[in-house]
Amino acid sequence: MPHEIAIGDVLVPGLLPLFLGCLLVLWLIDAVFGRLGLYRYFWHPSLVRVALFFCVFGLAGLLLLR
Amino acid sequence: MTAAAATDGSPRWQSQLRAALAGEGSAWLFVGKSVLAAYLAAWLAMWLQLEQPATTMITVGIVMHPHSGMVLAKSFYRALGTLAGSVFGLALMGLFPQERELFLLSLSLWVALCAGGSMLYRNFMSYGFVLAGYTAAIVTLPVINHPLGAFDSAVMRVSEVMLGIVVAGLVSDVVFPERLRTVLRQGARQQFAQFVEFVRGSMNGTIARGDMEQAHLRFVRSAVQLENLRASVIFEDPEVRARSRQMRYLNGRYMAASTSFQSLHHLINRLQRRSSEAAAALIALYRPVGAAMTPATGNVDEPTVLLPLLEEASAGVPAQAAALREALPLEARLDFDTGAALLQRFVDELHVFTQLEVELREGRVRTPVERVHFQRGNDLVGAAVTVLRTFLTMATLSAFWIGSSWPYGASAMLIATIFSGLFAAAPHPLQSAGNTLAGYVLGIAGAFVTTFWLLPGSDGFVMLIAASLPLLLLGPYLSTRASLPGVGAGYAIGFVYMLGLKNPMTYSPVRFLNDGLSQILGVGMSGVAFAFLPGVTGSAWQRLRQTRQLRAQVVLAARAPLPGLTWRFESISRDLFQQVVEHTQPGSADAHELLAWALSVHECGRALIELRSDLAAGHGSAALREAAPAAVQAVARLYQAPDVARWREADRAVQHALDACPSVEQASSLARLHLHQLRSALRDDESALAPYMPNTGEPSHAA
Repeated sequence: MPHEIAIGDVLVPGLLPLFLGCLLVLWLIDAVFGRLGLYRYFWHPSLVRVALFFCVFGLAGLLLLR
Repeated sequence: MTAAAATDGSPRWQSQLRAALAGEGSAWLFVGKSVLAAYLAAWLAMWLQLEQPATTMITVGIVMHPHSGMVLAKSFYRALGTLAGSVFGLALMGLFPQERELFLLSLSLWVALCAGGSMLYRNFMSYGFVLAGYTAAIVTLPVINHPLGAFDSAVMRVSEVMLGIVVAGLVSDVVFPERLRTVLRQGARQQFAQFVEFVRGSMNGTIARGDMEQAHLRFVRSAVQLENLRASVIFEDPEVRARSRQMRYLNGRYMAASTSFQSLHHLINRLQRRSSEAAAALIALYRPVGAAMTPATGNVDEPTVLLPLLEEASAGVPAQAAALREALPLEARLDFDTGAALLQRFVDELHVFTQLEVELREGRVRTPVERVHFQRGNDLVGAAVTVLRTFLTMATLSAFWIGSSWPYGASAMLIATIFSGLFAAAPHPLQSAGNTLAGYVLGIAGAFVTTFWLLPGSDGFVMLIAASLPLLLLGPYLSTRASLPGVGAGYAIGFVYMLGLKNPMTYSPVRFLNDGLSQILGVGMSGVAFAFLPGVTGSAWQRLRQTRQLRAQVVLAARAPLPGLTWRFESISRDLFQQVVEHTQPGSADAHELLAWALSVHECGRALIELRSDLAAGHGSAALREAAPAAVQAVARLYQAPDVARWREADRAVQHALDACPSVEQASSLARLHLHQLRSALRDDESALAPYMPNTGEPSHAA
């Protein structure tokens, strides 16, 4: 994936669509966790969500900028 | 040890101090979180070299709320509103780059439409609309003289706002979060306990009308509040989001059960007034159900305890009804059958409601769930007035700006945009405009002191915090005081806006004073507009129209397509009722009339829906199927505009349909029982319809 992409002649950092994609992924993970009630096993569920997002986004970002 | 010491009485000041500080803890926790989020956002904005870190700080200030679910919900809609607004602002700039009159006219119209849209939605969705209007203004107005800069300005504003949203959401969700989920859970438990308590309390079968009205008020409030909470909690808690459909269904079941319960008791009350023997038989039939709700062992409000008892009682109803029916004289049997059918419906609904409650508490739902939407009753005319008022405010400011070529007109318009939207939803707009204006002026004064005495000597980010913190703290703290609505928000927005943190900071007393003056004018103008076109929310005029709309729900019940109609009817009528009740003095004649109408609408509307579903399912004889639709329409017309002639017509039509039914001794079809219930409700001389009944009464009242 390129570092910058042009949407309607506007240069947008490639991280932006990646960020939105990661939000979507997290939303899916969230839905699955919520349905199974997995968040009950964590001390601080929202911290887990944030941390998960950082992992997903960090991994995708590193792959992009590799 | 301290407890023992306190009882001794020696360090009395300690307990006094503790009493004085009770509740302060959570207030200061909120203040701390707000301040942390605001400075973190400002630091990040400066680090990312955004143009106006102040916008980010204002966003944080506007979004922060003690409960993290609220913050996330607010943030979500704010993000949507911001995107919509900036896209519209750009489009507007592209259309009219050279024509300020057309541009300002369209912008005023857009802001006005957004303010109107915000009146049609509840929760923070309404807030998203305000933001869509506000962002269009904030993106375009500062660059109105350089149209080419509009795109960069839009990108900057959106980045600043989004940054603020993300930081506020993170801080409130991660740092000592106060969960809205706990409030929701408590609310749901209380709803269940209250309802069960009331069902239990009416064991002897009779409830005074006053008690019934009070109970109805409570039931409606809890149904609407739970829906509001659910709509926010789904942002906070994935588990609640996964169960969102079940919770909606539970609430729908709750509303349906409470309507059936009321209908049953109205029927029993009417029968008792006529001293019919059916009343005593129905009370006898009801007793085992009441007893099932009063378990001898275990927690009486625990649904797991109640469920098996209820199941047993439900299964026992038909046999007992048959036995009781045998003992009754022929003429009372139809009344009894009607009541027994209602009772059976109520017990079934209560059973499903309890079962769902059990399953939701266990976290595993096995009951099939219908799709239920809690629909709202909206007041289009009220929204139209808001559109008109906001448009006039904005158009006046635009005209003044163009006419006087005042360099700070844009600033006044911007502030007016924010506050027209915020005031429109307030119950007492003039008063809250006054409060906010006072807060805003205080905020500007605070910002003046900070900018010109404290900030110039500070160096670095830490010193910036040290210099601006003390006066900033006042804002969130004021907003936790319920006695001063609006002052805190006004102070916080005014302070942060005027402080206008930038990197590097610019100091210009002339600009500061001009800007401050224009903003006071903007806030003032949006408040003054309410003196000319008064706020509609909570006015007698709106109450009148909403009461009419409440009655029109019977028309909905009579005419709308059947699938999902029960939920639609139950939720809209409750939402409307709740809106009117909020602005009606409790205990006044208005409140009394409203309640009477609400109860009557619930009873008749639900009976109509049941009757229509019976007909749709093919129950009843051919003659009945021919006569019943006319009766349904006649009742709908009566509720649309009640008068004596229409009451007569409705009564006649219902009677005609009843006459088309087979005689008493044959097993009564459900459709017939619903018709009978309808007639009995129409002839209820304690209901809201009583004034429209002709005095030359029916023989049935004579007994």
